[in-house]
Amino acid sequence: MPDDQLPPLPPLPDEETRTIEQAVPPAVEDAPRRRARDEQGPRRRLWSAGHALIVSMLALAFGLLLNAPGIHKSAYNKSDGWQRDIALAITGPLADVSHALLLDRPRKAVQAAVGRSGADDIDTDIGLAATPPPATAPPTGKAKPTPNSRDKPAFSPDRKLRLWVAGDSLVITPGFAVIRASGASPAIEAVGGVDGRIATGLTRPDVFNWFDEIRSRVKELRPKVVVLGFGANDDKAYMTGLPKGTSIDAFGGSLWRREYARRVGGLMDVINRAGGFVVWIGLPQTKSSEQTQRFDVVNAVVQKEAQKRPGRAAFVDTYTMFAGENGGYAQFLPDGSGRLRKLRADDGVHFEREGGDMIAREVLKVMNKRFDLTSWRKTAGTRERR
Amino acid sequence: MLFPTATFAIFFLLVLPLSWLTMPWPHRWRPSIVAASYVFYSWWDWRFIFLLAGCTLWNQVLAVRIWRTQDQTRRKALVFLALSGNLAVLGYFKYYDFFVNSTDDLLSVVGLDVPLGLRSIVLPVGISFYTFMAISYVVDAYRGEFQPTTLEKFAVYLSFFPHLVAGPIVRPAELIPQFDTPRNPRRVDTSRAFYLIATGLFKKVVIANYLASSIVDDVFGAPGQHSSLEILIAVYAYAVQIYADFSGYTDIAIGVALLLGFNFPQNFDSPYAAVSVQDFWRRWHMTLSRWLRDYVYIPLGGNRGRRPILTYRNLLLTMLIGGLWHGAAWTFVVWGGLHGTALVWERFWRERRGPDAEPASAWHRWRARLLTFHFVCLAWIFFRADSFGAAWDMIQGLLTGWGESSPLVTTGVLLAIAAGIASQYLPARIPRLVMARFSRLPVLGQATVLALALMVTSVMGPEGVAPFIYFQF
Repeated sequence: MPDDQLPPLPPLPDEETRTIEQAVPPAVEDAPRRRARDEQGPRRRLWSAGHALIVSMLALAFGLLLNAPGIHKSAYNKSDGWQRDIALAITGPLADVSHALLLDRPRKAVQAAVGRSGADDIDTDIGLAATPPPATAPPTGKAKPTPNSRDKPAFSPDRKLRLWVAGDSLVITPGFAVIRASGASPAIEAVGGVDGRIATGLTRPDVFNWFDEIRSRVKELRPKVVVLGFGANDDKAYMTGLPKGTSIDAFGGSLWRREYARRVGGLMDVINRAGGFVVWIGLPQTKSSEQTQRFDVVNAVVQKEAQKRPGRAAFVDTYTMFAGENGGYAQFLPDGSGRLRKLRADDGVHFEREGGDMIAREVLKVMNKRFDLTSWRKTAGTRERR
Repeated sequence: MLFPTATFAIFFLLVLPLSWLTMPWPHRWRPSIVAASYVFYSWWDWRFIFLLAGCTLWNQVLAVRIWRTQDQTRRKALVFLALSGNLAVLGYFKYYDFFVNSTDDLLSVVGLDVPLGLRSIVLPVGISFYTFMAISYVVDAYRGEFQPTTLEKFAVYLSFFPHLVAGPIVRPAELIPQFDTPRNPRRVDTSRAFYLIATGLFKKVVIANYLASSIVDDVFGAPGQHSSLEILIAVYAYAVQIYADFSGYTDIAIGVALLLGFNFPQNFDSPYAAVSVQDFWRRWHMTLSRWLRDYVYIPLGGNRGRRPILTYRNLLLTMLIGGLWHGAAWTFVVWGGLHGTALVWERFWRERRGPDAEPASAWHRWRARLLTFHFVCLAWIFFRADSFGAAWDMIQGLLTGWGESSPLVTTGVLLAIAAGIASQYLPARIPRLVMARFSRLPVLGQATVLALALMVTSVMGPEGVAPFIYFQF
């Protein structure tokens, strides 16, 4: 039934039930006339419910063929398991049929028109050496002593330290907090915003290839500090982009750890080679104790890789930072004045704004240890006095 | 289960024939549609279906008792009990931590340090929407405006999946009588339904998500790091984003209900073409606006007070409550307060100036539209910002960073904003013409058009599906 055939709504009983906004006459008095004029026009043909079902099914079937390359990529990107196997078994032949009938061409044409050519390609090449080269400063077991202020590279408002943030969804809130906090220092310049991508990580370059992204963004933005946060979606026994002939075992097993370490270390090296210092935000405890245990495994790998690169990478431990009174997960924690603050989101994993601020303070501490961001003030003060 | 997902498409393709096939037998149709709706709701968290079922039983039992009771005092007590139950559940799930935190802050101001317990409460999706619909049902029964129906029909009314998680807030008198009237399976307005679903998907998946990821999230996340131009464009972008997101969802909901044979009320009517704040509320989230009118503003006294000040008070209180409904934070209260204050000012102005207060010429109307749009945008800053500090940073940034580079202001962002605003001025005859032409296409033609629309939306949208903004309310 078209809307113009609907029975009118029950009339309002008296003047006091007019809407708040109807309490005075409408501002535009010609609106009803205009609307009535607009509503004139060709009438719609009404169809049967069966027609609606057939059109819906045909549209979806045709839509599946038109979008087959994208749907196949989505199936490929699913978490490993029987659902992915079934999805791949269906979408693989679908993509072949679509290609054979040239039905993938319109999608490619639209992609080209909006500058997204190649968006359906499945790229699992992470571009790292199968056997990682030893870190340039081999681990000695002892951390390099913190450089004193004279050794630290100095930055000033004239020569700003460029900072970039990237990672999965867990880095978004702390990333913005870091950018806000760094805004207080004229010696720091945030570049490229926060490149936070939901449901991505280092184990699935097919879902999103962070290795390519970081390589190109580091080249483009030339950051001196790169704040990273990965791992929340990597706690699974499945990886794509493995070197030929390599396999991994269960999550947390020695082969899994070795491969994950290769990726973490490789990413740190990419940034280091471009002259950047890595600040890696570790994974926090979560509401789920099983997930917390898995995050612990990821943290151990990342922390070890950071320790191998003293002066070039640092690990920010959020695991203990957000521990409650009993050492476990806590959504609320006391602030400096002892009042409880909500630091973790309701999902039990992500951070609230104040949680992000806490991490940002730690990140800035690490940056201040590594770089001289304040001595320019003394020089400027001396110049002013002169 | 989100609308723009393959899961929902499969779900709906199963429910659509099931609904039409069982419709001639209402005693089969009702349980099956309730079951389908509960499956839809349980996709987020199965435990919350007990909350929905509890809400249904509680309100049904009390509405029937209220209707049958003659004694006015007893009726009042029953309606009070029903409202208390609804508001207690809503208060616990949505406002518990907010009130505890606010009380803690207040006590610390006066030097009292009382340890208050905070809890990690997960907000059930759509609770504000179905609680408001349940309140409508009970209050309408109390007022004698709507006779309570059977438990089965009420369960369908409350849980009907197209409106369940983000509205529109449908009144009992609008939907329940439709369950009694046989839907004609040979006269379904499919062209309007498909048009609404396709445009709703495009608005949500392409426009809203593009603006969020291209400028809004970055600028609102760290306003101090952006130029004034970026902040200004981000505020406009958010205005378009929230409109595209919410009206997109509503369009899909109305379209889905239409395919099942049911009519929902309109929820948006070109809100950014409003010539006053009052006019804006006539066009924005219309079903919430009239709910607030009927169940908050009028019970407060409406415009019946002898003195205008009482009407102003009622307007302001209604909008403050409307603000708090959107979220458990003071920023939402301020957003409601700003709108309330503007409504009071407009009313005061009109009472003083009489007919002269209305914009008479086209030029005056355009000026009024521009002013209203910018006021609404200013208020959106408080709505979007996650704290007063962040809102203040945005406002301050609007004034202090002109001339700086603005890399986030791209042609794509400006085009998306322009398209969002221009769509408000699209004459109604154009969509009608499109729908009429579409309705005359053969089956294959219609399917091809829809498939192409799906493909364009899929290519232009970002990967993954972001949740709708209004789900959290």
